[in-house]
Amino acid sequence: MSIDAPVGTGGGTGGTAAGARPARRRGLPALHAVPHAGLLLVLALLVVFASVRTDAFLTSTNLLNVLRQVSVVSVIAAGLTLLMTAGGMDFSMGSNVAVNTAVAAQLLAHGHPVWQAVAVSMALSTGIGLVNGLVVTYTSVAPFVATLAAATLLDGVALLVINGLSISIGTKLTALGDATTLGLPNLLLVALAVLAATAVVMRWTTFGRDAFAIGGNEDVARLSGIRVALDKLVLYALAGALSGLAGIMLLARLGASSPGTGGLTLQLTAVAAVVIGGTSLAGGRGTVLGTVLGVLLLGTVNNTLNLLQISSYYQQIAVGAVLLVAAIANLLQQRRH
Amino acid sequence: MTAVRADRETAAGSGTGAVIEVRGVSKSFGGAAALKDVSLSLRPGEIHALMGMNGAGKSTLVQILSGAQNPDAGHLEIDGRSHGVLGPRRARRLGISTVPQRRELVMSLTVAENIMLGALPARGSLVRWRSVAAEARAALARLGVDIDPAVEAGTLTVAEQTMVEVAREVRRGGRVLILDEPTACLGAEAAEQIRAMVRRLRDGGMAIVYISHHIDEVLGLADRITVLRDGAVVASRGPGESDEDGLVRDMVGRDVVSRRPERTARLGEVGLGLRGLGDGRFVDGLDVQVRKGEIVAVLGPAGDAQSRLFDVLSGRRRPDRGALEVDGTRVPFGRIGRSLASGLRCVTGDRRALGLVPGLTVDENLLLAQDRLDRRRLHRRGGLSRRAAPLRDDYRVVSLARNPPVDRLSGGNQQKVLLAKWLATGPAACFLEDPTNGVDVAAMADIHVLIDALAEQGVAVLLASSSAEEVMRLADRVIVVRDGRPVAEYEIEKITRDELIAAVLGGGLS
Repeated sequence: MSIDAPVGTGGGTGGTAAGARPARRRGLPALHAVPHAGLLLVLALLVVFASVRTDAFLTSTNLLNVLRQVSVVSVIAAGLTLLMTAGGMDFSMGSNVAVNTAVAAQLLAHGHPVWQAVAVSMALSTGIGLVNGLVVTYTSVAPFVATLAAATLLDGVALLVINGLSISIGTKLTALGDATTLGLPNLLLVALAVLAATAVVMRWTTFGRDAFAIGGNEDVARLSGIRVALDKLVLYALAGALSGLAGIMLLARLGASSPGTGGLTLQLTAVAAVVIGGTSLAGGRGTVLGTVLGVLLLGTVNNTLNLLQISSYYQQIAVGAVLLVAAIANLLQQRRH
Repeated sequence: MTAVRADRETAAGSGTGAVIEVRGVSKSFGGAAALKDVSLSLRPGEIHALMGMNGAGKSTLVQILSGAQNPDAGHLEIDGRSHGVLGPRRARRLGISTVPQRRELVMSLTVAENIMLGALPARGSLVRWRSVAAEARAALARLGVDIDPAVEAGTLTVAEQTMVEVAREVRRGGRVLILDEPTACLGAEAAEQIRAMVRRLRDGGMAIVYISHHIDEVLGLADRITVLRDGAVVASRGPGESDEDGLVRDMVGRDVVSRRPERTARLGEVGLGLRGLGDGRFVDGLDVQVRKGEIVAVLGPAGDAQSRLFDVLSGRRRPDRGALEVDGTRVPFGRIGRSLASGLRCVTGDRRALGLVPGLTVDENLLLAQDRLDRRRLHRRGGLSRRAAPLRDDYRVVSLARNPPVDRLSGGNQQKVLLAKWLATGPAACFLEDPTNGVDVAAMADIHVLIDALAEQGVAVLLASSSAEEVMRLADRVIVVRDGRPVAEYEIEKITRDELIAAVLGGGLS
């Protein structure tokens, strides 16, 4: 639900005699009235569990590290939240990241200045997003199919660009990747800025509300004078641009572009976070807050399993399980309304 | 769960000969009472009409009868056995079937498969297609319906789909059939086919609950009419003891006057002109000139030419031939933006698919079009509700919660939101398709007044309808279409309702 979901009818304007009586609730008292209550609960339980079972979890070093790690995913997830709310889907954002980290790494490794590498990879990734948008808007290929094809294609391109090798960028971009401002990692600050901006767009701009209308009922949106095709192009281009930004951030954090940087794994984590956050795959419903919680939940699960020294195979299993449980929990909560 | 608690009442129950006795059923949702101490009995071989305004409790009663909801108090007696908690499975096993307003067929399967859905005759695990077809044909024949069981359900008319759904329910052993507005959105002929089928089922001993907003229809069809208001039964009579005014008074709780007002506005120049419109086999050579301050209706059987007008005028569809002028300016077809820019506002008759965004709030739906026309960039909830408030007042949109998602409103209120969304945007000309579709009497009267006011302000109003009553009430002039062609044109003052109906059905006069 969008943030404003009005809950219950108690204290309504009703002129009936019974109008003054407060509505009775059974079961968990008003738990479902809190947005994302289930998700918050799971996250809280997980944090408690991790703090009890490991000494390292609740240290500021570890927590900041988790936040640094989830920054990249949250930038992708922010763009995806807006796009999916409008009923769209971009499965190629992770592969877009792979291509533009590869390109930026090559440029930097060949001695081009940072601003050039950033400008080229941002332009490239926005262009990729725009092409996705054109295909989806002007052919009737389903967004899922079109962008999955793009993802496969781009993964190949990324490997070609780095020729299957690991390209190091030395100490460049460390100002973004390692430095902190006021004790907070710069990567985190960038991610927070993107998330905040997305939340503002979704809540306070007509463009953001258009996304809800298009996702809710595209025909109605079009008949109401919303320029659906234009909006969609902008949304896909924006998803591309945010992939570009995420790519720069990832490169800054890792210091190199290698085979398997970005790609479908990163994409699936982002999609999982967005879906866990309650954004509807069918469109018309989505919140940035939910996405943030989804990203944090997945990041915390991974971190906890790392600290407990559990094999990465189990980590994948855990992420899958979390996704399934969260999806079911979201449905149950929606049904209550 | 089986609440067989009152065996001593068995004798009393079977004494009435009723299949279902509803005894003192109450139900409330979150403090608001939806049903208050409702009792009624359904007998085999009887058509029991259920009437009431949107929100009177009809749907809740149907849900309780079909086991989808359990009553807070009271119980159902089925064949003399008392059930406090019923549940949908048991209701179905006891032969209670519901045909909801929205068709529940698998549109890509054939009629035969739909009828036999869940019970395909098979040998081992192989489907025996021959008996599928034969049994489906038999099920349709029992209703006296002539539909080819081999065609896809999606290609049928709405009336035929209803019949297929009824055939399925009857074949499954239904003996109590609940029909929720089976004739809503149907033309006269199709509605009569449905009624013929219902009569046939009644004569075969079926107990039928018939929900309808059409008073004429109910008076002519029902053996008993029960009126609900605010969740309580206010009257339950035979059709002989009821008349139209009395039923309206029972439903609304007061007299509702919806009469043609004297039109005082002087007609201006042509505000909306449509010349030589042709579109495939659906529309052929339609000319309409609507002057400012005038209401012109295009009336035809459901699904005829008038039902294509929305797509053409709104810019969703480019027709083969023709020209459109709004306020003296030529408007190209097939461009939604141009249609809106010309000042033409088109209100769909299908608010679910083309009218409202279900997940968005009432306020946001009200201003969805206006804010885009204003090219507003920022969206503030406070400002939104301030701008929406006068619309809610003018169009009398009533909601329990302050600003719920629009799909939680009753049908009548949703329709008012849809009208407000478009009519409050200062239109130069207006196209309305079935503006009181699925709306109760009181809301209908409200909407008629709104449309009168629109014409009074000097807006050219084109009305597409399949209801002669509505045309008689609203229009100044009517163009009758049949098989895509205009067949007659009348001044409303110079024709009676019966003559108009005859013209639509094809009986002379033109």
